Amino acid sequence: MNDVLPPEQTATTLLDAVRGAVADVPDPELPPVTLGMLGMVHAVDVEDGHVRIELLPTFAGCPATEIMERDVVEAVGRVPGVDQVSVRFRFDPPWTPDRIDAIGRERLREFGIAPPGGATGAPTADGRVTLPLMLGPASDPRPCPYCGSSDTVRESNFGPTPCRDVRFCEGCQQPFEAFKA
Amino acid sequence: MTAVTEVAAPDLTTPRAQLLLVLADDELITGHRASHWTGVAPSLEEDMAFSSIAQDEINHADLWYQVLIGFDVTGEPQRAAVDALGLGRAPQEYRHAIACERPPRDFAFTLARHWAYDRFDAVRLGALTQSSDPDIASVAGKLQFEERYHLEHADQWFSRLVNGGEEAIGRFRDGLTVALPEALGLAEPFEDEDEALASGLLPVSHPDLGGRWLEIVAPLLRTADMDDLVPSAVPAEASGGRLGRHTDDFTADVWPEMTSLYREHRGARW
Repeated sequence: MNDVLPPEQTATTLLDAVRGAVADVPDPELPPVTLGMLGMVHAVDVEDGHVRIELLPTFAGCPATEIMERDVVEAVGRVPGVDQVSVRFRFDPPWTPDRIDAIGRERLREFGIAPPGGATGAPTADGRVTLPLMLGPASDPRPCPYCGSSDTVRESNFGPTPCRDVRFCEGCQQPFEAFKA
Repeated sequence: MTAVTEVAAPDLTTPRAQLLLVLADDELITGHRASHWTGVAPSLEEDMAFSSIAQDEINHADLWYQVLIGFDVTGEPQRAAVDALGLGRAPQEYRHAIACERPPRDFAFTLARHWAYDRFDAVRLGALTQSSDPDIASVAGKLQFEERYHLEHADQWFSRLVNGGEEAIGRFRDGLTVALPEALGLAEPFEDEDEALASGLLPVSHPDLGGRWLEIVAPLLRTADMDDLVPSAVPAEASGGRLGRHTDDFTADVWPEMTSLYREHRGARW
């Protein structure tokens, strides 16, 4: 793959370059994972050098969304052929944990954060995606990211960021964090 | 950034705007009162819990203001418009229930109000997922997912305290005695609520949401031998928040502190 786009680049290659730039933006609070790995990129559209991007926030109460917006504008702005970048967040469809890809799950685990199981709520009669486990937070024993044991408990609903809770592994006697789902 | 980008101020008199101010203001003021415990909660876990709840609720308010302004407004203009709604209104323009503005008093009262509020919030968010407005419905679904963590925290404390020792039961009872009747003020309608109901923006009226809330909290109180605490009327001094009537707890305490930076340095950035 060439580092520099040929001058005769087509609309498709520009769109691909923009998609790649958005997907590669790291999560400001979990730098090993990118917006692409988390499945947060809903739509990318390019028209006459104006790029419109729609992102799905993992958590509405996430203070990092402003930083993500800024980082996306910067990263996409560096793509040759882009004049203007608009980012908006949308909540329909809702982001669900099953959107995190395999690499993202592995990176979360390496970072000491147990990834969610990938559960998604049952679709409604009209086919809408719903968020999982409406009745209560997931209490399933999340495998420990350090030793793999399933003998773990959720200790607190509240962790260092809105999207993480705190668990304890009885196997290796270590506290760890889990991505809320 | 030297100048604040402006968008035209939204019309706050429409039924949709009135509904969204109610939703946002309840969360904003609840969040500010929760932040009282940052650094001074009785345990490190509770410090984390109430600090997280404060952050969540204030961000939820932010999101409801975004829905009011319209998701088409993005970037700097959106930030300026959200700040203007959250921090730029006069005290009588806020539409939260008076229950939300009450001071934290002691930790038992805080937990009592937390339970009463989050139980109501869950009922209301559930109803709003059926709103005829797609943005309101989808945001309600998203917040319902996040609020599960608050509700479970509140329920765990309810069980722990009502099954606790004499002091735990007595102090929690004192907290509920004040918090529950005041929380009925959450179920008061806003000015043009009938229009919001007719158009399906609000699928269930606030008074009916209050009824659904009572159907949940009354049996829980009965199992705790606290039947006598099932509330039946809002005390006069805790009524009227939905119409912009507030007490000194808001006008002379939360509001001046919450808005001081905005009033002194509008558009300030960290």
